[in-house]
Amino acid sequence: MTMKQFYESIGGDYEGTLSRFLSEERMKRFALKFESDPSFSELCAALGRGDAAEAFRAAHTLKGVCQNLGFDGLYAPVCRVTEILRAGNLNVGADMEELRTVYGVTMSAVRKLKED
Amino acid sequence: MTFNNSTGKKKILIADDSEFNRSLLIDILGDGFAYSEVSDGAAALDVLQNENDEISLVLLDINMPRVNGFEVLEAMNVNHWIEDTPVIIISAEQDSGFAERAYSLGVTDYISRPFDVYIVRRRVHNTLMLYEKQKKLLGLVEEQVYELQKNSSMMINILSHIVEFQNEESGPHIQHIRIITEMFLKALAEVDPRYFFTQEEISLIGIASALHDIGKISIPSAILNKPGRLTPEEFAVMKTHSAIGASMLEALPIYKDEPLVKTAYKICRWHHERYDGRGYPDGLKGDEIPIESQVVALADVYDALTSERVYKKAIPHDEAVRMIKNGECGTFNPVLIKVLDKVADALYVKLQSAASGEYDDDMRKITAEILQKNQISPAGRAASLFEKERKKYMFFAAMSNEVMFELNYKPYMLTFLNDGAKRLGVSQTIVTNPLKSEELFSCCGEDKLKDIARLFAETTPKNPIIRYEGVINIDGGAHPCKLVAQSLWSDEAVPTMTGAVGKIYRTD
Repeated sequence: MTMKQFYESIGGDYEGTLSRFLSEERMKRFALKFESDPSFSELCAALGRGDAAEAFRAAHTLKGVCQNLGFDGLYAPVCRVTEILRAGNLNVGADMEELRTVYGVTMSAVRKLKED
Repeated sequence: MTFNNSTGKKKILIADDSEFNRSLLIDILGDGFAYSEVSDGAAALDVLQNENDEISLVLLDINMPRVNGFEVLEAMNVNHWIEDTPVIIISAEQDSGFAERAYSLGVTDYISRPFDVYIVRRRVHNTLMLYEKQKKLLGLVEEQVYELQKNSSMMINILSHIVEFQNEESGPHIQHIRIITEMFLKALAEVDPRYFFTQEEISLIGIASALHDIGKISIPSAILNKPGRLTPEEFAVMKTHSAIGASMLEALPIYKDEPLVKTAYKICRWHHERYDGRGYPDGLKGDEIPIESQVVALADVYDALTSERVYKKAIPHDEAVRMIKNGECGTFNPVLIKVLDKVADALYVKLQSAASGEYDDDMRKITAEILQKNQISPAGRAASLFEKERKKYMFFAAMSNEVMFELNYKPYMLTFLNDGAKRLGVSQTIVTNPLKSEELFSCCGEDKLKDIARLFAETTPKNPIIRYEGVINIDGGAHPCKLVAQSLWSDEAVPTMTGAVGKIYRTD
């Protein structure tokens, strides 16, 4: 899978990210690093505990990572969830469901990229 | 510019709770730098506290657990680290209020996510270059101030020596008066805080003291250099030199309003007044005589006693000090006699060597004062002097068996100076919001903390000391301890409490 194909499969911004990262090699290295980023599981755990402050922090971190990687497809729901949590509201319902789904798609694409 | 000692590379502190972001930044900036990585604000403050002079730049995230980026910036302001260490904010926040607040706390630049390799590199390099240039320029300013001060005091010394030359006393009299005067002025505030002078003022008075006898230029040489005792008529002429010197300065067409000339005027006119009102030319009494004139008068008497003159031999130091204290050479302000007691030994040593080393140190202190007044941090030699002081302080704190701490009110934070944090089981050397710190609660209990806070609130600038006893968790167990601390106050007309310093020690 080429990096262009990878970005297309997850609704990411290939052109924009390449222009910021300056090399496909760096893009790939950090896209693969996404797999080990703990902020998504931290977000889920904090939501499970009802810890709004920590959930916000984790969502905010995940948002920054998506932004840096140009993972626009995932960035959109993360952004909405972050804003809900920022107000101290734990009621993230539908947006969190969407986030989960897109995260799953993104992760499987990352794993596929790794196997290539 | 600061370098990492072992690698010779500039060191960048990256504070971001996301490991992903930290490694991306390091990848972008490359291996031309050394890095220190931390994942929260408290750890960032720890690094800044312990390796402050090794960090060339801080890349700071705002949203971090425990202590956030703004709190780090506030602490950097309190400790004046922000003046020497540039900070670039890295944040995904798009809210312009965030950027505004960060800039107002002294950050140099702002990099928003998503990171752009080219922009991150540029901003980091530009910031480092800018600071390097600024430090060089500050160094140049310092050299200039030094040269100017040196030249002007040299001119005054030459002029004064012309007077002394005619006086045939010559020798190192002028230099001695200056050394004694400056030494007294420095020690004065310790004996009586009403008489506090800044380093700049002390130096100005020191320079002005060289002019104390310029009036003697108008006294006939036959009287001035008469080996025997003066007749009452001759003494009356001799006594006019103080008023004449003052009017010479007053008659200056352009400089008479300069601080140096005004100070010299006071010294010329009143350096033969006496504390009991029996001096000349005006018969001023007690505090009517400006303190700088009183100090020069005492310096003049001491130097006259200990120097050889056409009509007498030199008297040894101890004897001269004893004579002055016994009132055998006129009456002096009791505060000055206390100061004489304090500095007598050091004075003797200093006059023996009359080295110029101290003079250089003073010049650096003056430069530091001037720069600080203009909101510029001191650079180069001055900064390294401050750093030396800080290291000395930290060393003694480390040698001590006591837990030493500093408390600051705005922002509210507690800093342990030695291994205190470790001994009390607190994970950071800087604790923000100490009255809400769970770790401090488990060390000594919330009640005790509140008691201590109440004691601080009851202190006044006149009664700043608090004492407290209780059992606390220290060195891994409960032990009886004593706390002694002193609150610190601002210099404003109505002083406000700015913080405190203190120590805790075991009594078992």
